[in-house]
Order: sequence, then C-alpha cells, then structure tokens
Amino acid sequence: MLHTPGNLATNHFSKVTSHPVKTSLHQRQPPNNRLQFIIPNQGTKTKNHCCSNMMASSDKAPDSMPVGDGSVPPGKPMTMGHQVVDKTAQMLQTLKPIKQMSQHVCTFAVYGHDMSRQIETHHYITRLNQDFLQCAVYDSDEPTARLIGVEYIVSDRILDTLPPDEQKLWHSHDHEVTSGMWMNPGVPEMNQRSELENMAHTYGKFWCTWQVDRGDKLPLGAPALMMSPQMVNMSVIKPELVRERDRKFKISTDEARKSRVNFPVSKPGNARVADYWMHTGKSFAVDIEQVEMKDLGGQKIPSI
Amino acid sequence: MDPVHASILPEVPGEKTKIGTSLVDTAAATIQSFGPTKQIHQHLCAFHFYADDMTRQVEAHHYCGHLNEDMRQCLIYDRPDADARLIGLEYIVTEELFLTLPDTEKPMWHSHEYEVKSGVLFLPGVPGPVERKDLEKVAKTYGKTIHFWQVDRGDELPLGLPQVMMALTRDGQLYPSLAKDVESRYGVSFEKERANRAYMEGPTHGIHPKANAAGIGLKTVLREIECKPSVQSESVPRVFV
Repeated sequence: MLHTPGNLATNHFSKVTSHPVKTSLHQRQPPNNRLQFIIPNQGTKTKNHCCSNMMASSDKAPDSMPVGDGSVPPGKPMTMGHQVVDKTAQMLQTLKPIKQMSQHVCTFAVYGHDMSRQIETHHYITRLNQDFLQCAVYDSDEPTARLIGVEYIVSDRILDTLPPDEQKLWHSHDHEVTSGMWMNPGVPEMNQRSELENMAHTYGKFWCTWQVDRGDKLPLGAPALMMSPQMVNMSVIKPELVRERDRKFKISTDEARKSRVNFPVSKPGNARVADYWMHTGKSFAVDIEQVEMKDLGGQKIPSI
Repeated sequence: MDPVHASILPEVPGEKTKIGTSLVDTAAATIQSFGPTKQIHQHLCAFHFYADDMTRQVEAHHYCGHLNEDMRQCLIYDRPDADARLIGLEYIVTEELFLTLPDTEKPMWHSHEYEVKSGVLFLPGVPGPVERKDLEKVAKTYGKTIHFWQVDRGDELPLGLPQVMMALTRDGQLYPSLAKDVESRYGVSFEKERANRAYMEGPTHGIHPKANAAGIGLKTVLREIECKPSVQSESVPRVFV
C-alpha cells in the first residue's frame, strides 16, 4: 500500500507553478505536503502563467524530416573502433539493473488517441516485488529493435490505492492475457501459467515515446498514452496482426486462449476508473508547451 | 530546494516476490533470448533537471546501446542497483542527425557538451583513457530525455505525466551537495576530469540555439479527447476471433 504521509523519509517537493486549464492535470500541495492529482477549476489562471506555446502533441503528426535512405533511425553503421571501445567498457561495468530483466513478453497495444493504430510490442520485464513490474518496450525482439517506450505494471490491489485522476491513465490486462495475446515466446504455456494468472490481475501504464508505426525516423513529439486490447470496438486487435505474430514465433494465440479460459479475473472495485475510454468514450493526448522555467535564483527566465 | 539523494528514497509498495513467481521468472530468463537488451553495453551516470524546473535535479543512471554509429537509446534508472527503478529513457543522436530534426522538435533535445567537458557525466568503473575515447563523441551529441517516475518528489509509484528533462549547460547549475555525493560514492573527481577533457570539442556547428528548450522551459499537459474512431459507432461489442 502507499505510505501514509508520515512515513515518507524525505519531504522534498518542488514548489509547483499552476498552469492554466484546458484539462491539464496539475499537482497541488495539500497541507500535509503529500502531492495529489486534482482536476483544477476550469478557467483558473495564475499570475505565473505566460502565454503557452504548443511545441508538440502526441496525437498530431510531427513536422517533416528529410527522407534519407529510409532507414529508421538514419545513420552510419558502427565503426570497428567504436565497437572495440564499447566492448572494453562493457567488460568493466556490471549493468546490474539490466541483468534483472527476467521475462520477454510479446503482446499488442493500441494508441489511446487512435485505436485504429495497433502495434506489436516486446516487453523486457523486471519484477520489483509481487505487486510491481517495470518494462522496457521495444518494437521487435531483434538486436536492431527500437526502444519505443516504458510500461509499468501494478497489481489490482495497488491500482485501487491510486486516486481516480491517476487511474484514468492505466489499462487492465485481464482480456489481454486471457485472449492469448500476452505471450512469453519460447516458454511452454504450462510453465507460464502461474505468472499469467498473476498478470491477469494487473493494470498497466504505457507511454510510447517513438511512434515508429507512424513513420517517424527518430523519436519525435510528445509521449503518447497507450491502451490495452479489449473485447470492445476498435481496441480489438486486427486478426492479421495476430496471425503474423503467431507465424513469426510459431505460437498459437487461439490455443493459448483456450487454455486460459478459466483464469480467475480481477473483480473491479466500484471506484476503479482504469480503461477510462471504455466507460466514457474519451481518451487522452499529451501536449508539450513552452513555459517559463523555474531557475535556481527563484527568478523567472523571461520568455523570448 | 534541496536535492534528494537516491540512497534515501522510499520503497516501491507491494509484497515481496513469492518464490513461485521468481522461479517462473528465472526459467523464462534462461530460455528466452533478449536481443534488444543484449545491445545495452554501457552505464553512464549524469544529472537531469525538469524542463520546467531547474531546482529539481535528479541523478540519472543511463544504460545505453547503439542502434547505429549515430544513435543510442538508453534506459534510465535511479540507481545502479538490482532493485533500481526504471525512471525514464533517453535517445542520443549525433549532431548530424540532430540537424535533420524539425525546428519544432529541437527544443525538446539538450546538448551534452557541458556535461562531458565539466566531468559530471561519466562511465562508472571505466578508466579515464577508455572513457574519454567514447565521451569525445558524446560531447558532440544531443539527447532527448523523458522521465516517467518522479522519485525526487517522493513518488513511490510512477504517477502523473511523462516529464521532459534537460541537462546542465553551464557552471553554477548543479547543486554542490549532489555533485559531492556522487563524487564520493564513485570515487571520481569532476574537477580532475574537467582538466583531462579540456581537449574535447562540442558540436561542430556550435550548440544549436533551439536546443535546450530554446532557453525557456517545457511542460507536458494532458488533454482529454473524444475517442477515435468513435466508440458510439458500434453498440454491440465485437467478439475477438
């Protein structure tokens, strides 16, 4: 469970400047110094706000880049000299957090702001405790895979401790697991079973920072919030994507689904608002805006 | 505000991993190939601050791999330990690639010249001469960093929105206490390294004026939108086949 405010060892919270609302979530310090998320009143303005200037939005195509030779990313092959330097350094460093990655999972995700855009994802997962996992997400399982984002996974128990405005950013995994889409390539189904039963009770928060499927040659724009496959509407994964995945990894999503049909699934509490789009028909995009930066002297750097 | 040191951050909530769960994890790890993560070959320690708030500074442990000679991608952790939290990621590109970015994209990227030349960016455990062979190149690069987990404000979980992060660009920005803490933990001296790295050069064309948030600040904002395609269009859920 989340610590009560009194248990926090340190209390270093930044002074937060408020921002005007379209519907921005901002953090405000309540009297006990525990940061909470609230939706601010519409139309609230503060004296610290300067005219915001939108740099990027996760749901808008970025400005164009040179076509180049079409490779993603563009660039030259590694030089031999560089490889030698890398190998030398690698032998001297332990890379402990990376060694903790214990699972490779292949699954699918949809863009929260456009569910017709669906991608196969490869998660490299570290379990930090029984209720929490963290995943580096790539667009393939090849050495040339692009790092496209990060997903965090919590048990339903932990999700229920989060305030509603935070829960809205999370998605359930029960359908994704029981449908057979969530797979550990190379691991026999029965060996996966206990882990899968655990995973079916979890919720994920997945930010995508490189929209390769959109044709971006480099990671452009604002991070996008992703959602999980569900049985409803456009979040149903296109059969051809699943077939292609199954062919590549010589697995059967259909067989997996049959063997997982009796998985106990999470019983949602009344207050759970994850999978926000399913309840409301609304989703989220992220904008990056220019603002005044708070600098060390406490003086605002004036806008250009 | 005072900087927060990674060593005293609170625990991630949750029960200890059960034996059965960890056995499955271990079995999976021995059978599966880890193609993308096997490319991660380098640990690099540096500092980031929030793109709208320079007073919040974070020690950042980067685990980087090359996609090609011109681009690296890095996972960022709060500590170099087995139980470290994955707090963000960074993409690093050469000047050549940076210059192809649209002008609206460039402000989200930061230069590395100062961090490298001042000595505050380093490769823990790697002797100076080897380290410098790589950092010569890093000094000319630009990075785009996003953090998802605000450990410096005590968050036990990755709450809220992704944060664009920036890097140090001149003397007087880094909290001396943060610097000393890192120097003593890793047995390095930033000042000594600064002297050793004096020969290095930054980007050939100089630091681009649009980089480093173009001298201003950046903030992420959440916007609620109608689902696309419309969820109203089908009243009957489609059954997955």
